[in-house]
Amino acid sequence: MNLPDRSVLDNGAVLVSQALPSNPFIAFRGSVPAGMAAEGPEHGVAEFASRLLLGGTRRMSAAKLADRLEGIGATLEFHNSQELLIFSGRCTRETVAETIRILVDCLAQPAFPAKDVERVRGELLNDCRIERDDPRQRAYRELARIVFPRDHPYGRDPKGGEERIRRIRRADLASFHEAHVGSEGFILAITGDVDRHLIESAVATPLARFRGEAEAAPPPPPPPYKPRNAAIPMPHKSQADIVVGAPAVSRRDDDYYPLLLANLLFGRIGLFGRLGKDLRDELGLAYYAYSSLDARSLGGMWSISVGVNPSNLDRAVQGIRGEMDRLRSEPFGVQEIKDGKDNQVGSLVVSLERNAEVAAELHRMEHYGLGMDFLERYPEIIQGLSDDAIRAAAAKYFNPASSSLVLAGPIGRSRPSL
Amino acid sequence: MATHVESLDNGLKVILRPIPDTKALSTWVTYRVGSRNEVPGMTGSTHWVEHMLFKGGGKLAKGEIDHLISRVGGKMNAFTDTDFTTYFETIPASDMDTALMIESERMRNAAFDPKEVEAERTVVISEREGAENQPEFLTEEELWGLAFHVHPYHWTAIGYKQDLARLDRDPLYAHYLRYYAPNNAFLVLVGGFDPAVAMQHVREAFSPLKPEPAPPPMRLVEPEQHGERRSDLERPGATDLLFAGWHVPPFAHEDTPALVLLTTVLGGWRGLTSFAAGDWRPRSNRLYRALVDAKLATDVAVRQDLKIDPSLLIASVTLANRVSVDRVEAVLDREVERLQKAPPSKAELDRAKRQVRSWQRYEHDGVTFQGILLSTLEALSAWDADEPLLEKVERVRPEAVRDVARRYLVPEHRSVVRFHAQEVPG
Repeated sequence: MNLPDRSVLDNGAVLVSQALPSNPFIAFRGSVPAGMAAEGPEHGVAEFASRLLLGGTRRMSAAKLADRLEGIGATLEFHNSQELLIFSGRCTRETVAETIRILVDCLAQPAFPAKDVERVRGELLNDCRIERDDPRQRAYRELARIVFPRDHPYGRDPKGGEERIRRIRRADLASFHEAHVGSEGFILAITGDVDRHLIESAVATPLARFRGEAEAAPPPPPPPYKPRNAAIPMPHKSQADIVVGAPAVSRRDDDYYPLLLANLLFGRIGLFGRLGKDLRDELGLAYYAYSSLDARSLGGMWSISVGVNPSNLDRAVQGIRGEMDRLRSEPFGVQEIKDGKDNQVGSLVVSLERNAEVAAELHRMEHYGLGMDFLERYPEIIQGLSDDAIRAAAAKYFNPASSSLVLAGPIGRSRPSL
Repeated sequence: MATHVESLDNGLKVILRPIPDTKALSTWVTYRVGSRNEVPGMTGSTHWVEHMLFKGGGKLAKGEIDHLISRVGGKMNAFTDTDFTTYFETIPASDMDTALMIESERMRNAAFDPKEVEAERTVVISEREGAENQPEFLTEEELWGLAFHVHPYHWTAIGYKQDLARLDRDPLYAHYLRYYAPNNAFLVLVGGFDPAVAMQHVREAFSPLKPEPAPPPMRLVEPEQHGERRSDLERPGATDLLFAGWHVPPFAHEDTPALVLLTTVLGGWRGLTSFAAGDWRPRSNRLYRALVDAKLATDVAVRQDLKIDPSLLIASVTLANRVSVDRVEAVLDREVERLQKAPPSKAELDRAKRQVRSWQRYEHDGVTFQGILLSTLEALSAWDADEPLLEKVERVRPEAVRDVARRYLVPEHRSVVRFHAQEVPG
């Protein structure tokens, strides 16, 4: 694969592209820095606004917008995240210019019609109810709140909670959008059936019309963390969810790559690393048992997720504790680490086989400033990690003493701790 | 796209699709067995067998499949459907032999160690219990149970918990031996390879396997439904749900192109398989406008479940808070009636056709999605069924959409499940 093309337009927008000739269509992913970090105390406004961007523009009603987009067979979605307002979509060579024009229109001139504000308010409130009834989501949300306390954007509910959802007004949404969505900080990564001429004529030209200075809004540093346990009884459910976690590192931290490998071996590789092998394969306790690493600009979180029959809650928590302890008593072996490194190098081919995956990776490279040669350098970065650094990261971060535990579901009186 | 098809002497059909400029390879082996081949008391056995095929046997020790694939950075998984069971590995193309060896061993040599079968019992039950946490699963399971009284589509692929608690190792192993053979399977390879070279490797891996007696055909036919069937579930939950399913013909039927467009006009299109669609939510369709735009629902979806045997076209609605299910059902009825009374406009039908055409391309995103698309189509009728289907979709006239709405979306062939969310106990 050649290095991606990167260009900065006169309006400050960054355009990253990569041709993938065997793909019969175009995928794109992009962002503006208008996620939760930009909300300040106005919690929930970023999520609310993101859901209204397909709600019509000053030129087009929501219905007309949907008809135009789907009339050319394209897709366009907006998602709010902790740091960014993210958009993604699919189209073809023939429809890319029109799709980008629609994207720019949605970002530059959203109408936030009163009718749709009320529709989205209802959807957000329903989502709160649905999430409250889902043990897996509740457990994870509670863990994030513990790891990033004091309503930090990395830890709080993006929806802001029911009270906030009821209070947000159209004017709040319009002023948030006005302040934070513009061409400054805009990134668009586009891949597939593209070439330089198409990018210039059908993508850069409509994008150049997008203007607006957005206020930069980096997230605040995560506040101090104190580990604790929480239990969310939901007696009407069949399965209980266990999540364990603690703060991790930011994407640019020196510990990021050793921890990435440690997490891979602990709870991701194959059918979910050491955790999956023990809790699922050996003990037969769970259908899913895995760990995750979520690294962002100023911090991150690692977590373990396990779903079990309530009668196996104690055994499963003991099993998690046992695997965490084993990282010290029986650190990753030489072959285990070699397999992990080989997995990461090989996965470059496999994890970037889809158009949409390549667009997402190019977007990450630009957002985190990893450089357009990042994928070329990645094997070297991984192979250059010392075994001791990987073992040390595992011991340092997957530490029961500094971890929090959340149980949700039909947990009865059982309150096991790590 | 150039595709090479050949059958080995032992009956294994091989479908090779080389993709220039890609370094990845996706290998799919699909067996013509699903939960439609199960009998009462053994529901979920096909899915349980699928789980056992990750546990080694023959040349593969326990854990070795996982190890061989993960060390090359590959991904692998398997899916049990009502109509078929499929196993895949997506790996660097240079590791083709690894995937072929795994699949060849899996075909006849799985170990089914009694201890491992027992350990997996709690895993499959756990998978079911995780699904039970979602009211949508409970509602859909009820819908299929209501719509099919004779045909095995009555139960879902995961099976009933009571059966999973009682099934023994020996019947599971017999189920495996009966259906897992080269003459009841096909292999799909998509990715960066030369077809002649790949075919040679396929022969080396699979030719030594002997064909087995053909498994007994599934002979059960669902009798015609006479009269609407209804069920009301009252369980703790967050929101009310409404699921309606109408009997529709199998995938290979001549009415499928018009039904694809009926589905799209009513609820939007997300591809023949749902894998590529992700969170995409179509909004230019009639039910979205009538229910979500009107604030009666927060989500609506319509899908024609494509199957070997006559199946269901399902509309599913997540209701907005404090909206009555009766009211939503009346709107659903009104929209169905509107389709039965008058054909869609040319503009509306053109928009629907454009969506179907575009999704055909989006479903070709990478080797893994192409692998599942080819495998699904071959299991249902023929690996290349999408192109002729698309051509027929292009030729469907507005009146044909109205006609299939009149023929199939009738109350006497409909089953309705209403999930009434009860307040969650404190």
